[in-house]
Amino acid sequence: MITRNTLPSIPERYPLACQWEITCRCNLRCVMCYTDCFNRPEKIREELTTTEIFRIMDELAEAGCIELALTGGEPLARSDFFDIYEHAKAGGFLVTLLTNGTLITEEIADRLASLPPHHIEISLHGITERTFELVTQGNGSFARCMRAIGLLCDRKLPLLLKTTAMTVNSDEVLTIKRYVNGLQESGHRVGYKLGEKIRLTLDGSDAPGLLALSDEELENLNRQDAELWTEACRNQTSEATPCTSGMGRFHIDAYGQLQLCSGNRRRGYDLRHGSFKEGFYQYLPTFPCSRKAEQHVTLIQPSASHA
Amino acid sequence: MRMDKIYAKNDDFVQREVAGECILIPIRRQLTDVNSLYVLNETGSALWRRMDGKTPVQAITLDFLNEFDVTQAQLEKDVAALLEDLLSIHAIREAGQTP
Repeated sequence: MITRNTLPSIPERYPLACQWEITCRCNLRCVMCYTDCFNRPEKIREELTTTEIFRIMDELAEAGCIELALTGGEPLARSDFFDIYEHAKAGGFLVTLLTNGTLITEEIADRLASLPPHHIEISLHGITERTFELVTQGNGSFARCMRAIGLLCDRKLPLLLKTTAMTVNSDEVLTIKRYVNGLQESGHRVGYKLGEKIRLTLDGSDAPGLLALSDEELENLNRQDAELWTEACRNQTSEATPCTSGMGRFHIDAYGQLQLCSGNRRRGYDLRHGSFKEGFYQYLPTFPCSRKAEQHVTLIQPSASHA
Repeated sequence: MRMDKIYAKNDDFVQREVAGECILIPIRRQLTDVNSLYVLNETGSALWRRMDGKTPVQAITLDFLNEFDVTQAQLEKDVAALLEDLLSIHAIREAGQTP
């Protein structure tokens, strides 16, 4: 058996990694959320059904897609979440689950542990109940989120905790980071990521932008922690390089629109009525992106053993 | 490695085609635990497809002699090595044995 660090022979343009926003429904109403505007019954009724998701997912597998990030909204808010998740796992996808954690019970943690995802990413926007729930606007959500982190750590599932830095929580970011460092020192597989981007909502409102930190405030925050500062510098470098979305990575929204990425929904290809291969190979390359240029695709590149 | 043995696939592995490669993905263990995806070569891929829990290795190997330009001795050596690899990662088990 020969061990290798990368999957070999992947063409420059290949549908390897999908971020799929399987719903905009959510049990929380986070103040900076860009999907919450579609968290209402008439929009939820337009979302892809289980059958449609299965059919599209099978097309992704057939096309060679292997990384699948299930996001929302809150993916676990879908009553058919585990049908979707288990279909993805049975299809051989490396599944990452992006969640607010507050719906994760002991039973759900056990279910995830029995069929483990590649990663679970949890939004942790405060380390005190007051700040956390100021962001989520959900009573009891802090306790539920912290409990979920504990349940998943106990089951040795790999976690990434993420905070969006805003005016309302910036004074807790370093404490959150210290909390994560403490988990790591206790042997848990937990990473941390500080997000800085606050987007327009899907219906075009820039209201969440009022919560954004200024560039100077962000820099001051990042400079207070060596790892955050290193990451901020790395992100600045990558922002200067051309965008690679649509090359190896792509996005599907809750209504079946294939898009370049979650941050660029200017154009979409309707997977309800067309095939994934047609959308990816014929339409996606024509979609506009202001940062687009030819470039190699970076992927998770799981190590591979050659039998 | 006895060629009259029968092997069955472990349901905890899923086979996928990615960019022309045949990959085995463990679905009940984390990649960080197994630290690998397993890429099968042409013979390995063909062997995996034919392993049905009913057909002895010898019969599969005889079929391969008609498909691949290889001597029986070399093929048996290759198949034995592949079976060792697949057994070592628990992707297959002897038919009749508890998973």
